[in-house]
Amino acid sequence: MIAWLNTHWGLVGSLSGLHLYLALIPVVIGFVVAIPLGWLATRSSALRSVIFYTFGFIYSIPSLALIVILPEIIGTQILDPLNLLIPLTIYTIALMVRSVVDALTSVPWEVRAAATAMGYRPLRRFLSVELPISIPVLVAGLRVAAVSSISLVSVGTLVGISGLGDLFNDGFHRDFVGEIVVGVVASVVLALVTDAVLVLIGRLATPWTRVG
Amino acid sequence: MIEFQAVTKQYPDGTVAVHELDMTIDAGKITVFVGPSGCGKTTSLRMINRMIDATSGHILIDGADITKSDPPVLRRGIGYVIQQAGLFPHRTVLDNVATVPVLTGASRRAARTRAAELLDLVGLPVEMTRRYPAQLSGGQQQRVGVARALAADPPILLMDEPFSAVDPIVREGLQEELLRLQADLAKTIVFVTHDIDEAIKIGDRVAVFRTGGVLAQYDEPAALLGRPADDFVSNFVGRDRGYRALGFLAATGLTIGELPLVPLGATVAEARAALVDSWAVAVDADRRPVGWLSAARLDTVDATATVDDDLVVSGGSLYQVDSESGGRAASLRGAMDSALSSPAALGIAVDSTGAVVGSVAADDVLAALAKARTAGEVPT
Repeated sequence: MIAWLNTHWGLVGSLSGLHLYLALIPVVIGFVVAIPLGWLATRSSALRSVIFYTFGFIYSIPSLALIVILPEIIGTQILDPLNLLIPLTIYTIALMVRSVVDALTSVPWEVRAAATAMGYRPLRRFLSVELPISIPVLVAGLRVAAVSSISLVSVGTLVGISGLGDLFNDGFHRDFVGEIVVGVVASVVLALVTDAVLVLIGRLATPWTRVG
Repeated sequence: MIEFQAVTKQYPDGTVAVHELDMTIDAGKITVFVGPSGCGKTTSLRMINRMIDATSGHILIDGADITKSDPPVLRRGIGYVIQQAGLFPHRTVLDNVATVPVLTGASRRAARTRAAELLDLVGLPVEMTRRYPAQLSGGQQQRVGVARALAADPPILLMDEPFSAVDPIVREGLQEELLRLQADLAKTIVFVTHDIDEAIKIGDRVAVFRTGGVLAQYDEPAALLGRPADDFVSNFVGRDRGYRALGFLAATGLTIGELPLVPLGATVAEARAALVDSWAVAVDADRRPVGWLSAARLDTVDATATVDDDLVVSGGSLYQVDSESGGRAASLRGAMDSALSSPAALGIAVDSTGAVVGSVAADDVLAALAKARTAGEVPT
């Protein structure tokens, strides 16, 4: 395994980069989309039910099935990375929309009322009061979404979209456990590093949570 | 001046929170809305800055109908203090106070300078300004809440049960502080509370609401205690309203009696000789009272011993004559309390430096009350 790794550092590195790229683009887009959706869900309980049920349903579809049928639905080519990026984005939204709702409803009512009474318009109040206060809960949700996305990207290899999953697939076909282990270890390292970076960003963005 | 003209708030489920409210709130005064829960006092307050819109009727500020103004713009010109302070946890104390100036377009630097002045005004130590709200006590947070409401120098200040979440001693301090600030600022303050004692203490006028959003009585505190409009108000202001009404009578006619004084360091024999009716007051070098000396306690020690802190019985409340706090402390209520709470049945009267000037007897307070009654000072 070590010998294989010594001659394949470049491959592992480039696959890791590609893997991370494919995993995190959906997390970023999904996060940005989940925020207004979550905000909408806090505005009316009917809207909240619709949003939760829709994304809950999509989330329950097995990832491989979704990746395979998606080109049929949206008309993409078979090797198009969108076939992977779109399902992962939807999964992120499904996870994050609940976090956003939890985060926004955890803002104390008197803080929200005080902001309104001071003359904030709704959008500015959302961006400069409710959203910053929500950061700890949002980061917790993002960590789950990011790690889950990193693990799911591997499935892409089965429909021809490269990532660390290529190593599992190739190792399996060649009956070479070492390559599978390298792929698994690399994937876990990516997840741990991403998680640590998110924790760090969360800490830097919320100095007020570590006082008192 | 704020005017309510036939203002009604009815919720879609049919609940009437405020019913046909007509009242005029004087500019530059503290008006308190008080009443049991569900009486519409908070709803009425929140209709002034359009946090809640009235179902019918009009609210005018200085003659202008508030429904003609854009709510966020209207709110920036009206200070608001909420219960639990409602500070933004993610901003420092300084930036919390700078909120409204920044919203109205001031530069961050100018807003912070203004915020620092206000924090000084409300008595928050300067080292606290860079802290986050979670690092402050409840009382300090509420001071910041008041500073934040005052930051844009609004003519009107709405206070929504601002001191309800702090303990009684801190609350009393905050009330005193508010009265001190108001003496300088003369804002139009509307203050909501469910605590009638708080209402009586800080209000220039008090509006008592009854359940269903009906105004039961709108009057000055002394009149509220002296002639409640009906049984509801009478019950609401409480059983000992006669005693509390003493708080509105100046103690000008009160006789201050003699009081035997014993300086700390005198011998026990000297102290025994000074006792009148078995009691004397031990005082320090500045004639400030340390406590009471009793015959019973002095008999337990040797005549050659000296009088010290360990020998005194701590006393009741002190009655400050010629108070600088607008005459409020120099009322018959304070005088009566000093007499009733003293172990020797005599209150200790002190001047503004805290030095003893004499004694207050309950009988003399009652005599002063009788004098005030004949002079027509007691509302009947």
